[in-house]
Amino acid sequence: MRAVTAAIRLTDVSKRFGGVAAVDRLSLAVPDGSIYGFIGPNGSGKTTTLRMIMHLLLPDEGKIEVLGSADTRAARDRVGYLPEERGLYKKMPVRRLLRYYGRLKGRTIAELDPVIDEWLARMGMQGWGDRKIESLSKGMSQKVQFVAAVVSRPALLILDEPFSGLDPVNAEALKDAVLEVRRRGATVVFSTHDMSTAEKMCDRIFMIFKGRKVLDGTLDEIQAEYGFDTVRVRTAGGTAALAGLPAVDAVNDYGQLQEVRVTGDPQDFLRQLTSRTDVYHFEVTRPSLHDIFVRIARPSPSSEIAGGVVS
Amino acid sequence: MMNKTLIVAASEFTTQTRSKAFLVGLLMMPIFMIVAMAVQKFTRDATDIKDRPFVVVDRTGVLFAPLKAAADEWNAGAKAGGVQTAPLFLPTAASFDERDDQARASLSDRVHRDEIFAFVEIPADALDPATNARLQYYSNHPAYRTLPAWISNTVNREIVNLRFRAAAIDRAVVGRLTRRVEINELGLVQRDTAGGIKAAAPVDKVRTTGIPVGMMMILLFSMMSGAPQLLNSVIEEKMSRISEVLIGSITPFELMMGKLLGSTSVSLLLAVIYLIGGTMAARHYGYGDSIHASDMAWLLLFLVLASMIFGALFITIGAACSDLKDAQGMMTPAMILMMLPWMTWFSILNAPESRVSVGLSLFPTATPFLMLLRIMLPPGPPGWQIGLSLVLTALTSMAAVYAAGKIFRTGLLMQGKAATFGEMWKWVRAG
Repeated sequence: MRAVTAAIRLTDVSKRFGGVAAVDRLSLAVPDGSIYGFIGPNGSGKTTTLRMIMHLLLPDEGKIEVLGSADTRAARDRVGYLPEERGLYKKMPVRRLLRYYGRLKGRTIAELDPVIDEWLARMGMQGWGDRKIESLSKGMSQKVQFVAAVVSRPALLILDEPFSGLDPVNAEALKDAVLEVRRRGATVVFSTHDMSTAEKMCDRIFMIFKGRKVLDGTLDEIQAEYGFDTVRVRTAGGTAALAGLPAVDAVNDYGQLQEVRVTGDPQDFLRQLTSRTDVYHFEVTRPSLHDIFVRIARPSPSSEIAGGVVS
Repeated sequence: MMNKTLIVAASEFTTQTRSKAFLVGLLMMPIFMIVAMAVQKFTRDATDIKDRPFVVVDRTGVLFAPLKAAADEWNAGAKAGGVQTAPLFLPTAASFDERDDQARASLSDRVHRDEIFAFVEIPADALDPATNARLQYYSNHPAYRTLPAWISNTVNREIVNLRFRAAAIDRAVVGRLTRRVEINELGLVQRDTAGGIKAAAPVDKVRTTGIPVGMMMILLFSMMSGAPQLLNSVIEEKMSRISEVLIGSITPFELMMGKLLGSTSVSLLLAVIYLIGGTMAARHYGYGDSIHASDMAWLLLFLVLASMIFGALFITIGAACSDLKDAQGMMTPAMILMMLPWMTWFSILNAPESRVSVGLSLFPTATPFLMLLRIMLPPGPPGWQIGLSLVLTALTSMAAVYAAGKIFRTGLLMQGKAATFGEMWKWVRAG
């Protein structure tokens, strides 16, 4: 672990609020130049962890290094941050706001203006520099917030739920922007509830649950831990055909398709299934990140079909 | 660190000076003064031109006629110049026995029906100085003082005339013999450098009172146009989660100091504009020599101290609250401190050396305003009082900034509920 050049390194970090552990003995290393995904259910400690990295909160225990510095404040000018809830001055024109945020990161106006123009153009916002924030749509505001986080050309970009609430077009624009930041050499850490985004974008994924690390690795590494225990089936009988089958451990019902976690040999399960109904599709696969997330974070079974859990 | 503080200060200054609130603040003092003068003139000249018919029951038999003549003279004055500027007094005579309560009830009914405004009874023994006779004035408008005061003055003047006549004394002689010797208020006689004597100049109320009060008002208005804006600014940043972005780039103390410096600069700008305008107006009216550079320097120094104390106070309230509604509840102590100079400056004007004046001008949150006033009122306070007031105010200012920094740091990221005073005290002590 020590051999990796880490943009962020947490060692046994804990944070409590009123006796409740929001983060509990957390250790992780974010490799330099990677896109690192933070996942976890609401209230699991993602935002608290990000805030400690940003020095907005101080850990009760443990050590945090950011860009090689143990004093997280020292690295502040090289870190861009997009908070979970957007923070923009409504009455301020876009360019003035971006200059202000950029200057607070130690950049001069002469350095900032070309970068602002470039990013506004990339976001499809040419000529919007004089518009007040209050006149922008939610999507546009979110893009401005993103630009505010990157105008200082940070070495580390931390994004808390950057894609939440965006329509597909704006989400696509933001995804491209994140990839562009990484192409320019920055490390990107973002938290998300969108598992497919995390699967597609992240070099490494970290999952926190009840303040503790439960997953940390590449998608392949994470899926490998769970093996080929998942079967995607489409049958004439649907979920009813799965009820009571001994090989079925849990069922994730998507309506037209069911994702089934099986115990034992999948071929035995196929034989059991064909004896009951017509099978149109049968695919043995590894569990998706979504499935893994649900397996870890589900508080208790909401309904069961003959020993199998359906969501 | 300083650079980032200055960047925040510049942003705060630009935001405040570009807002409508700044323009309103800039115009507030001149508008306030013009409106106050206009209201005074308006209320004096033209607010009340409603007729005041009233009934006079004159049991002396000799006072109604001169009262009527005086009313005619009043009414002619009220309509002088072709525009009515005062109510017309319209007396009519009536008579009934003093034991006739039915008659009084009937007249009261007429007052209720707005047929008459009031009625007055002049007792039969009103002319006799040995009795304790009183005029009886009946009305359902007890707050209206003009008519009863006019009746009382007019009737009494006539009664005194009749008494003099009855005693065979010439009223004109009495007037001459009782004429008052008025007082001329002067400054001190001055010696010039050549040993010559310069005569004492008459005391000019504008120089001795008007200009010191004006300077104190400039200080008050300038401070009030800057510091309270910090409350809105901090609450907006907190509610919109802007603070979270800012604290990702700058320490809470740098942010707070930047805001304080920005707001203080706004107040200084306003004060300078008012001082320039005030000096020009003073010169225009021949009082240019009454405004000294040292007075302006005192004003600006006290303004910086006041802005720091009250700015820190408003920042603290903003950081401790989650919205403006919460803030309103916490504003009361701050408003009391702000209003203290408003409530007490008049007593200082009358007795600047009294114990109360000295005590008030040494009370740190009031010092900037009241000590400035005392400095400008001749002969001015002793040097040790000025020095002590500066030390106390500077210490209070530093303590306020220190405490505000602690509360700001913790309160800024706290959402959902307002902090209690107990919690804030805990944050300050937490170190």
